Amino acid sequence: MTIVEPPVTTQTRYTGTPVRRTEDPRLLAGRGEYVDDVTVPKMIEAAVLRSPEAHARILSIDTSAARALPGVFDVITGADLAAVAGQQPVIWFPIPDQRIAKTHALATDRVRWVGQAVAAVVAVDRYVAEDALELIDVEYEPLPVVADLDAALAPDAPKLYDDWPDNVSGSLTYTFGEPDEAFAAADVVVKESFNHGRAFGCPLEPRGAIVDWDAFSDTIDVWLSTQAPNLARDLLSEVLGVPVHKIRVRTPNLGGGFGNKFDFYGEEVIAAVLSRRTGRPVKLIEDRRDSFFATSHSRDQRLDFEMALTNDGTIVGLRGISYGVLGGALGTVGSGPPWASVLTCMGPYKIPNLDVTVKAVMTNRSPYGSYRGWGVPKGNIVHERLIEIAARELGMDRAEIRRKNFPAPEEFPHFSGVAFTYDSGRYADCLDLAMSKIEELGWRERQAQARAEGRSVGIGYSFHVEPSAYGPSRILNLVGLAHSGFDEVTLRMDSIGKVTVYSGQINMGQGTHTIYAQLAADSLGVPMDDIVVVTGDTDSCPYTGYGTGGSRAAPLGGAAIIRAGERLRAKLLRIGAQLLEASPDDMEIVDGVLSVRGAPGRSVTTREIGDAAYRRLLDRLPEGEMPTLEEVDVFDPPNMATSYGCTALLAEVDRETGMVSLIDCLQAHDCGTVINPMLVDGQLAGGLAQALGGALLEELIYDDEGQLRTASFMDYLLPTAMEIPPFHFYHQETPAPDIPGGIKGVGEAGTIAGVSLVGSAIDDALSDLGVTVTRFPVTPPRLLDLIRAAQISASQAKEGSA
Amino acid sequence: MSDDSQAVSVTINGHLYSGTCEPRLTLADFIRHECGLTGTHLGCEHGVCGACTIIVDGRSTRACLMLAVQADGSEITTVEGLANGAELNPLQEAFWNNHGLQCGFCTPGMLMCATEFLEGNPEPTADEVRECISGNLCRCTGYASIVASVLSAAEELRR
Repeated sequence: MTIVEPPVTTQTRYTGTPVRRTEDPRLLAGRGEYVDDVTVPKMIEAAVLRSPEAHARILSIDTSAARALPGVFDVITGADLAAVAGQQPVIWFPIPDQRIAKTHALATDRVRWVGQAVAAVVAVDRYVAEDALELIDVEYEPLPVVADLDAALAPDAPKLYDDWPDNVSGSLTYTFGEPDEAFAAADVVVKESFNHGRAFGCPLEPRGAIVDWDAFSDTIDVWLSTQAPNLARDLLSEVLGVPVHKIRVRTPNLGGGFGNKFDFYGEEVIAAVLSRRTGRPVKLIEDRRDSFFATSHSRDQRLDFEMALTNDGTIVGLRGISYGVLGGALGTVGSGPPWASVLTCMGPYKIPNLDVTVKAVMTNRSPYGSYRGWGVPKGNIVHERLIEIAARELGMDRAEIRRKNFPAPEEFPHFSGVAFTYDSGRYADCLDLAMSKIEELGWRERQAQARAEGRSVGIGYSFHVEPSAYGPSRILNLVGLAHSGFDEVTLRMDSIGKVTVYSGQINMGQGTHTIYAQLAADSLGVPMDDIVVVTGDTDSCPYTGYGTGGSRAAPLGGAAIIRAGERLRAKLLRIGAQLLEASPDDMEIVDGVLSVRGAPGRSVTTREIGDAAYRRLLDRLPEGEMPTLEEVDVFDPPNMATSYGCTALLAEVDRETGMVSLIDCLQAHDCGTVINPMLVDGQLAGGLAQALGGALLEELIYDDEGQLRTASFMDYLLPTAMEIPPFHFYHQETPAPDIPGGIKGVGEAGTIAGVSLVGSAIDDALSDLGVTVTRFPVTPPRLLDLIRAAQISASQAKEGSA
Repeated sequence: MSDDSQAVSVTINGHLYSGTCEPRLTLADFIRHECGLTGTHLGCEHGVCGACTIIVDGRSTRACLMLAVQADGSEITTVEGLANGAELNPLQEAFWNNHGLQCGFCTPGMLMCATEFLEGNPEPTADEVRECISGNLCRCTGYASIVASVLSAAEELRR
């Protein structure tokens, strides 16, 4: 971890220093305000009845007993909701002519996954609302269940949507170069089928909403645990038919988001409808059990890929298909994540010939949605697992074969072959940095010693790319996003010279308020203590395209602050020059003091500038200068920014139990300009922990009946402090050429890198057996199966040769 | 309120809270809703995540697994009881210095757990700290910074 220096109270440059977070004191004191902590006068509380069937027709719903329970205000079903609300929106359409499966927030005639919302109750409190749920009688006629990918693709598979020819929502192939020729001419072809199980972001704070719909003024006031307040407002408007300007979305503190809170959920619509009908503000908080069914699932994919190489380790082709195992309806982001796997399956390597396909398949599982990494972790599995299998086949060193296929720094911008153009990078330097740290930390000695003791210790590697700063709006529209990617910021200095930054981004734990204050302080030349950052209210904060996701808050919001700050600073200097009777060109501002360069005695403070711009303008504000001190900037990036890193893991496998222990982990990383190294390390560590959990422990397991078997923390295992290793982070800074400030995103690095990493370490620990991990999570029973199969084939080979 | 409501009196952070509640009301909901102390968070309501950890009569306790009526007559400390006025205590300060929190949702539980732990073990090792917080889930930090925070607080408290 980064060593923390004692807090610095005055400094002239904040960017690049480990400033303590401005967010923390109130959170540490228990003074945070998360959505369930908010109480609105006259508020009542709702709960949702969920389907116990994976696939069934709803024959009848009897709500009379629930309605009669004292304390119950209202009970609604799908028909009630559909009378006033449209279907749940989808915003990503990456596959042309894709069949778009939509539903209402409450099922109307048919359920297609266990946990699909069927009815909702609102009552004096949550206890009574849940009592009433038990009194609702729903009659289902079960339908054949499509429980998994193979069942969905079977020729005689039952169909989720009767008017579709099959269960395939859509398919899209990208070709680049001459893949067939490349494979035909290759010296070596390695192929594998990889699986990543279902998982989800699982923020520790469950999702929640409070909606107050005033039917007389037709205004809707919303408190919502969302990463995308502007998007939520637009989509509420679409679904409910209320104009955007009459909807206000406020975002309290978020207890983690991880993409899960980017998506737009049925619960916000259910709460709105209940509020309109009862005339009361309605709070609807999912409990943990709800979250396992109702918060977006992700990761669920099969990836059948092959890589072609020449004998010297040069990759000449990659082809394959990524199956997105979607749920019973499309979530907000549709088939976006499995599509992103295809976009990134070549990773950091120059591969001249590609033939890669995404196929989105519906099953009777919960809808698929956003989770930190958004498809890229599965792209990483493809290129990192295949390149290691190829290295083994060719007898090459794992680092050497990677280095051989990197684009050189001077080859950037580098077109990946599918959609993305990587902006800049020094990949080989980053790899070398990681390798040198492995030596410094003595991992090789530790591994050798452990092996001498008969223990199975391995070193795993993963080189990842993280396309961040999503993204150029028109390109996003072109590839199928019905939304934008720019970011807007307002920078305002007030009448006493203090600064407020208003942003449409939100703060979900990544420290946005701190880094925005750092950047604003540096761009204006004022102390960080003079800055307040305001986010999370659509009435006062500007518009952001997309939301807080796609690793965009730092590069895009940051760039907008830097650009607005430059203009505001110029105005401060012009006013300062007037006050000091100097030329603006001779002025400077340091730590909130404006002075004539070379004459430090002649100075004014921002307090006097504020006064001149807002209150006592006569003879002080230059003629022609607009009163007030405010700048707005909208930054729509010309290209995305691609971060990257090389991660290494020291791990031990117990051959008797299949348990994997994570001993130590390091990452060499490049996210361009580092705003706050302490916070960057925090992002890297947190992302890695999630990936390590996904690689070893976490899985939403469905049985053949489409029942979710792991819907509690007793069965869905999040990693604890006992499983997660220490981390070491090392940075190189290659500024993003297309982003003012040079900042690249960093939020998803760990989740992208960490899954294939575990497979690599296990393979190395068991190199004598020739085990190849292809299925994640690699739980102890699965790993034991691999070990035993390898032991059997090894002993058979021995017998054969004897 | 139903007929079987019972009177409950607890002392939380030095203040006496008295009220009546249904026997089924959890202590966590009593603290959050009846007492207005929303710093105690609910992440799972089945006793696994540890976010609702408080100290009841000197012992760390999951407020979601206890009923309010069971706590009648108890002395309770919640996260709101740690700071002295507007001044953070050394443990809170150590979390601030070491980036021991991101979203802050698990933090109250981590702080209460570590508070009890450091009273019994003023010179812990990193492994002991990991074991101490192994019943508290954090989804943001990857734990290393929390371990560093608790170790740093221990050092400060020994001074």
